[in-house]
Amino acid sequence: MKRILRASCLALLMLSCYPRESEPFVGNEKFNGTGYRPVYKNPEEISKIEVQAAQALKTPGKIYTYDRYLFINEVGKGIHIVDNSDAKKPENLSFVSILGNYDIAVKDNWLYADNFSNLLVIDIADPKAPKVTKSIPNVIPVHDYPPLTGIYFECADFKKGVVVDWEKVDMEQQPKCYR
Amino acid sequence: MKKLIPFLFLGLAVAGLMLLLNACGDSSDSAPSPQTGTGGSMARFAITGNTLYIVSKESLEVYDINDGQNPTKTVTKNLGVGIETIFPYQNKLFIGSNDAMYIYDNSKPNAPELTSKYTHVVSCDPVVVQGQYAYVTLRAGTNCRPAGSFSSLDVVDISDPSNPRMVGSQRMDSPYGLGVSGNKLFVCEGDRGFRMMDITDPKVPIEKQFFQDVPAYDVIVRSNQLIVTGKGGLFQYKYDDSDSLQYLSKIPVL
Repeated sequence: MKRILRASCLALLMLSCYPRESEPFVGNEKFNGTGYRPVYKNPEEISKIEVQAAQALKTPGKIYTYDRYLFINEVGKGIHIVDNSDAKKPENLSFVSILGNYDIAVKDNWLYADNFSNLLVIDIADPKAPKVTKSIPNVIPVHDYPPLTGIYFECADFKKGVVVDWEKVDMEQQPKCYR
Repeated sequence: MKKLIPFLFLGLAVAGLMLLLNACGDSSDSAPSPQTGTGGSMARFAITGNTLYIVSKESLEVYDINDGQNPTKTVTKNLGVGIETIFPYQNKLFIGSNDAMYIYDNSKPNAPELTSKYTHVVSCDPVVVQGQYAYVTLRAGTNCRPAGSFSSLDVVDISDPSNPRMVGSQRMDSPYGLGVSGNKLFVCEGDRGFRMMDITDPKVPIEKQFFQDVPAYDVIVRSNQLIVTGKGGLFQYKYDDSDSLQYLSKIPVL
């Protein structure tokens, strides 16, 4: 009997040390003064994509190499296309201005890029003059709720525009939406 | 016996040819294989063959791009929250999230299947793979890992993909992207620079150099060439088996 007791105590002790994966919410976490607010953009502003002359890097993000080219993301702003035939002298060719762009991938002469939740297909057969040939909506889902759980957020209002992101802010009042 | 010798040579030649062929075409079996590029470890987009994979914050979106101009959706796989990165390797997809590394089998490229979920403590974590090991960086930071925990580089044995297990872990400063090729592993440490590590023993990365004057966020390594980006711009280097880097060029931030 004693042995069983000791064993179960030990087991309990070990259990209490085991790191929990997450806090145990039951759907009503207490509001702590911070919540998430939707970031809206005007759909026309989003769909405005321009091919411009080469530009200097400001806030470089992700990179991608294809054939002799280098693609450098300008965080949230677009893509620098660079001729890297000679890695000692890379030559900046052009800049595609795309709001909400963070990622790039290339197959054959097709460049795929995100534009908030849209997926753009860009013809780069002539990398000095890339052409956007397609924009597919809702490929990278941005929902009408933040990509988190156990949090409060301001309910999305589609009259204000397209929800492109969620930001964490201090809030005086507990917002209506919860997830 | 002598009669056998030519056959022996023939056999060797055939074996050699097989090896050569194998080395070139392990990713696809269709004849004209598409030309695709290489991304860094922080990527949310990945292409293998004629399939484009996109990870959103909560899902894996799969697009058929046989017709490059017209991507067609094949499937959405819902994942947990906090998905960050995707890294394709052979017939697997390695997906990094805030609390886990997911391994998907993409033997059927348009219909990937979950093989396993390797759960670790909450953090931000890109992953790269070579051979039977995955290298994962876990960064402690405001949005990623609770205060009090530390950043690390973990080595995970994936020889049994349905049962990944950690075989090593070492402390890092604030790791972001990473890249692996041959016996070299490069780890970006944000504003603090980047590390070059030797992985001759793949389970035990050993730091060889720490380049502290080049802020590093992501890296691409291929055929002895290294491309690093960060706050200071894009830097390119060449390297060989020795532990030194040869500077090639820089595209500065202006």
